[in-house]
Amino acid sequence: MHAPHARLSRRGFLAGAGCLLAATPLRAGGGELRFAHAYGETVLAAPATRVVSLGYTSQDSLLALGVVPLAVRYWYGDHPGGVWPWAQPLLGGAEPLLMTGEVSIETVASLAPDLIVAIGSGISEAEYALLSQIAPVLMHAPEVTTYGMPWDAELRMVARATGTEGRAEELIAGLRGRFEALRERHPDWQDRSAVCAWHSGGQTSAFLGGDSRAQFLRELGFRLPEALDGMQGDDGFYTALSPEDLSPIDADVLLWISSGGQAEDLAALAMRRTLRASAEGREVFCDALLSGALSFGSVLSMPFALDRLEPEIAAAIDGDPATVVQSAEEAGLLQ
Amino acid sequence: MMRLFGLLALLALALVLALSVGARPVTPAVALEALRAYDPTNPDHVTMMAIRLPRLAAGLIAGGALGIAGTVMQVMTRNPLADPGLLGVNSGAAFALLIGATVFGAADEASVALLTFPGAALASALVFVLGGGLRGDVGPVRLTLAGAALNALLLSLVTAIVLVRQDTLDMFRFWVAGSLTQAASRPLAEMALIAAAGGLFALAVAPQIEALSLGSALSRGLGTKPRRVQAAALAVVTLCTGAAVAVAGPIAFLGLMVPPLARIVAGHSLRRELVASALLGAALLLFADTLGRVVMAPSEVRAGVMTALIGGPVFLWVARRLRPGATA
Repeated sequence: MHAPHARLSRRGFLAGAGCLLAATPLRAGGGELRFAHAYGETVLAAPATRVVSLGYTSQDSLLALGVVPLAVRYWYGDHPGGVWPWAQPLLGGAEPLLMTGEVSIETVASLAPDLIVAIGSGISEAEYALLSQIAPVLMHAPEVTTYGMPWDAELRMVARATGTEGRAEELIAGLRGRFEALRERHPDWQDRSAVCAWHSGGQTSAFLGGDSRAQFLRELGFRLPEALDGMQGDDGFYTALSPEDLSPIDADVLLWISSGGQAEDLAALAMRRTLRASAEGREVFCDALLSGALSFGSVLSMPFALDRLEPEIAAAIDGDPATVVQSAEEAGLLQ
Repeated sequence: MMRLFGLLALLALALVLALSVGARPVTPAVALEALRAYDPTNPDHVTMMAIRLPRLAAGLIAGGALGIAGTVMQVMTRNPLADPGLLGVNSGAAFALLIGATVFGAADEASVALLTFPGAALASALVFVLGGGLRGDVGPVRLTLAGAALNALLLSLVTAIVLVRQDTLDMFRFWVAGSLTQAASRPLAEMALIAAAGGLFALAVAPQIEALSLGSALSRGLGTKPRRVQAAALAVVTLCTGAAVAVAGPIAFLGLMVPPLARIVAGHSLRRELVASALLGAALLLFADTLGRVVMAPSEVRAGVMTALIGGPVFLWVARRLRPGATA
């Protein structure tokens, strides 16, 4: 229902129809698109077509909306063009420039974009000011942290800037529907505790409520274990645990996030075995690809994660070690 | 002799604290029970056997070895600022290990850990040459500068690897600031043997090193072969630093702090100084690790960060006492 709106208001710009402005209050005079965000306000004269994606995961939102970015920011993983498998087909053979490391303002300028999406990019206000001289820049909403923009809010913001609101609403409704169907299929999951944790470099850490991985679990009906609930933690999205006390992550379902190579470290982590979650076979091991899907937490990656996780969580949550969680067995986590 | 007993008492205190302080209160009774009948599902037992004991062992190995390496380096170069960390030997070992872990995968820890030795040897030889070692006496300022430059170069190479391979970032956190948290997965027994071998070798060649420290010309007059002694000292530094880095990562400033303190305790006899350095190094590293466990609980501050926090001021204190133009 938003697509006709967008078309109407563009026509409204030509006709100068004032009533539409009242209907979409964010769209001030002359069909301009206005976006309030963490670094102020960005104004677009018209929906953009040449878009540079500077957020570590914003390429997914753009590709989902049918907008192939001119450039993509490299986050991690060995995937061509920095585009992970769930989004790869949407490239349609295009090869966006892959930008690694710090943002190169010159490179961005050379692409002559008419929009820069920097939601979840971690750029500074000074970089934002410089980039704004090249093209309008979209940042995360003022009320969320740098990497804490909810997937649907990001999708709506990008959609409005690229004139693809209709597609965004379809995608959001589709994914929300999947979450709802899943919650209905698994009434036994509701209000049980679940947590995403990771272990590497001798340090075990847990993702907190503001993180996309925890938000994903919440969409499935889970809640954080009490010890972690309401914690602010480091950088707002995770907390490190003492190696002598891992009890805060002893949840009904314990998902281990990895980026590759951590399975052996986990298998050797003696303190893990003292957890009820470990003894009762409630652990799920997320390999690099599944962990990536959860870490992206995008409209494209979450359906991918759902497909793979549903049987795994179902096998873990019954708390019966006899029902083997396949991923945990393959990772060598079972005794 | 009394002073040596004092050091042993200090080390004993460090051992007791390292075993009893942490996020989880474990009573001595439970600790003994863990030793006699280990139950892998009891968190208290796991804390003792899988966390605190390996950390204790790693602290003893790395602290003792770095104390010895620092003392040998300071005496050999007549440079009170010499330290395996500051002179890039630590980062050479860490760099070699990181390369190995990136290329071969971290699967085989014990064999990858052996890479610390060529890394430490190359770095110490390089800094010795860069610091003017081949042309005779090594001045403290020149050697320190060469070491700082080498250290910076190696650390930026490490950073470059990490920027190319984002998934090595967690490894990087360990290999930039040393820590005892991974002690359980490090090759402790092997490295203990190597560090002990390095320490015994140091004791054996101590008189020759002492003679050489009087200056090349005088020592030659006393019948010492400078090149051979330099090679022996290089071997000691390589064995000790390599073993320390393999169990604890690059721990900075420990080798700087320990020798002057050891000299106060042991007087000017290199053999006694080496023994005192080993005891003092182990005690200091264990104190640093124990302190790191409690200052920001439940998170832990890496032992390497704690030693740097204490060692930085010590470095300034020693540097300020250097007279301009002094060679030691």
